[in-house]
Amino acid sequence: MENKDTATLEEVKKEAAAYTKKNDVGERMQLIIFKLGKEEYAMNIDQIKEVVITPRIAKVPQTAMYIKGVANIRGNIIAIMDLEERFNLIEKTDQPNSETIANYTLVVESEEFKVGILVKEVPNTLSVNTTDIDSSSEIIRYTALDERCIKGIVKSGERMIIMIDMFELLAIDEHVKKVNTI
Amino acid sequence: MDKENEYKEMFLAEALENYEELNKLFTALEKNGNDKKAIDAIFRITHTLKGNAMGMGFDAIAGLSHVLEDVFSEAKNGSLILDPGLFDILFKANDKLGELINAITTNEDVKYKGIKTKLEVFLRNVKKPIGTEGNKIETKENVANIEKSLTSSDMGSTFVVSNEREKVESEEDDNQPKVIFSDLVQIPVRKLDGLMNLVGELIIERDSLIARGLESGGSTSEYARLQRITSDLQYGVMDVRLVQVGFLFNKFHRVLRDAASLEEKKANLILEGTEIEIDRNILKIMSDSLIHLIRNSIGHGIEKPEARRLAGKNEVGSVYLKARNEKDSVIIEITDDGYGIDPNAIKKKAIEKKIITKEFADSLTRDEILQIIFEPGFSNAEKITEVSGRGVGMDVVKRATESIGGKISLKTELGKGSTITLSLPSSMAVKGALLFELNQQEYAIPLTYTEAVVSLKKNDLHKVSSGIIANYLGKTISVIFLKDLFAMNSFDELYQENALHKSYANCKAENKLEVMVVSYNNKYFGLVVDKLLQQKEIVEKTLSRPIDTLDLFSGATILGNGSVCLVLDIAAIANVCFKEKFIKKV
Repeated sequence: MENKDTATLEEVKKEAAAYTKKNDVGERMQLIIFKLGKEEYAMNIDQIKEVVITPRIAKVPQTAMYIKGVANIRGNIIAIMDLEERFNLIEKTDQPNSETIANYTLVVESEEFKVGILVKEVPNTLSVNTTDIDSSSEIIRYTALDERCIKGIVKSGERMIIMIDMFELLAIDEHVKKVNTI
Repeated sequence: MDKENEYKEMFLAEALENYEELNKLFTALEKNGNDKKAIDAIFRITHTLKGNAMGMGFDAIAGLSHVLEDVFSEAKNGSLILDPGLFDILFKANDKLGELINAITTNEDVKYKGIKTKLEVFLRNVKKPIGTEGNKIETKENVANIEKSLTSSDMGSTFVVSNEREKVESEEDDNQPKVIFSDLVQIPVRKLDGLMNLVGELIIERDSLIARGLESGGSTSEYARLQRITSDLQYGVMDVRLVQVGFLFNKFHRVLRDAASLEEKKANLILEGTEIEIDRNILKIMSDSLIHLIRNSIGHGIEKPEARRLAGKNEVGSVYLKARNEKDSVIIEITDDGYGIDPNAIKKKAIEKKIITKEFADSLTRDEILQIIFEPGFSNAEKITEVSGRGVGMDVVKRATESIGGKISLKTELGKGSTITLSLPSSMAVKGALLFELNQQEYAIPLTYTEAVVSLKKNDLHKVSSGIIANYLGKTISVIFLKDLFAMNSFDELYQENALHKSYANCKAENKLEVMVVSYNNKYFGLVVDKLLQQKEIVEKTLSRPIDTLDLFSGATILGNGSVCLVLDIAAIANVCFKEKFIKKV
């Protein structure tokens, strides 16, 4: 019996060590941080293909307002969208030509397609612990949009960063469009 | 390379594959004589090989595979037991087959009759009922019989046979079976698609490079070589993807036969222009539609034999499937000499099915009535039969045709028959388009839809109810200001009052209006644009999410200057804008 007890103790120690180690390096996450309106938003770096200077955008009629059009990015024809408009983040005090200062395009990539997101400043990267992402339900989530597309709030010092999932957002919008046409 | 050689090359590739497959199967069968699947497979392969060889006139290969087929037909029925003694002969026969196939290119003289006779005699003995032992035949005895018959039975042929047999044997002693390489490579279509995409991008890059070069004062001649090499490359890759329509057409004999026997009708399929080449993907997309059209011509076109006799026609109907080249497109015509299509029957059906109202139907011309068969939900068959009612209607055929930028048209004469004409692009990669400018942005319309470009003044246009009309070559056509369409959030706004009059109201009387006359379904209409640009070859790419569901555009292309140019979907625009006019919702 004594033997077994010591073994268990050792196991517990090992487990504890593994736990701290995991907390130190294991579950870290790389995020891309960009500003929309006055807020900071984040996306998992795995979803980001690249950041480019916004190319000439061809307008596409009969699309939602926040879809600014299509652009040629490295030979791919990609839809460009303005999330500030999508999230109603444009305040009336903003310059009316806020579009023109959206200098950079964040290219977000899934397995099947890519979209571009307009941003004003070059996005930064941030490495956080998964434990710093508060995905609890204490944030107000009234709509399906919030529920599915906001993954949580990242706390980094004083900053509060909203983490979103771009593809959930697109899936919701497409679903809404479909329902409307039926 | 001429057609005959191309056929030959394809036959060779397939035959070699068959030969390898047979070798594999024989080996498997030798280890496990009861392998039913292998026996079936061998029977099938030898049968195909025989058919192909006969078609090509390679009698030796046809003969030898015919005997092998017979052997395995017996084995399939269970009236022949395969045992080790027989396999030696089979392997030798297959080796000979390989040599014969190889000899097509080397023109070598291959002696095969010995082994063929061996198998034939063997078979003959199997078929002879031997005593009460029933069907079980000892192969050893058989082989002995063969040897005997080779030397003793009818003298005339034996002389030749045994003579050849000696040669064969002496050859085989120092001649180990050779490993034979085919001169053809099989490539998955996926890889070809990848190549085609790359070439498309290369062309775009080339154009943009040349455009930049010209801007900075260069001359086109500097790029002549680049231009030529890339063009050659493009056409080379396109050429690789081309297949002869005959490969698909030949399968339709069976489709026609099955359809005809189900309907108790008699008909022949006559093929023309089977050597015409078309992009493999286009043929694939159209194959279901063509099957449907063939079935239709039996189901709806050709009459029953008695009816045909009464009408003074040959009891056996004819269905023609013809292909020909016309400029850049491939025209495929399906013609039958059957009953034709009765516009009155169509009209009645359409009213019954509530596709159109009676009042509206009466205002339609004969051609417009005939167009109704392309409407979704219309199927003229009285009852759904296995032949024509498979859930694919003419609307699906039409949509498939248009999805690849093709056109479909119908001609019919009551009592004489109908012709469906499909006009398909021969390659999907590059298409001609007319570029224009609207709201300082470039757009393209595929040349398949453009008819003419005219310059009109405001007083040439007339407001009529919710639309605008104009006169084009004596015909009255509808005119739409594209600007109005583009300003809408969705096509639903078409129903708003004056939705199509906004730009008209704004334009000044003295301004010239550039109107592109486009046609769809033999219906002409005009689109007013800001400025016409040049005609250009474009590589159209489909739009990806989230803008893949747009009705206005079928895709986009990248221009030489690097900007994106959207390609108008004329079929969709016509459907949305004129649907309500043409066929009223009930």
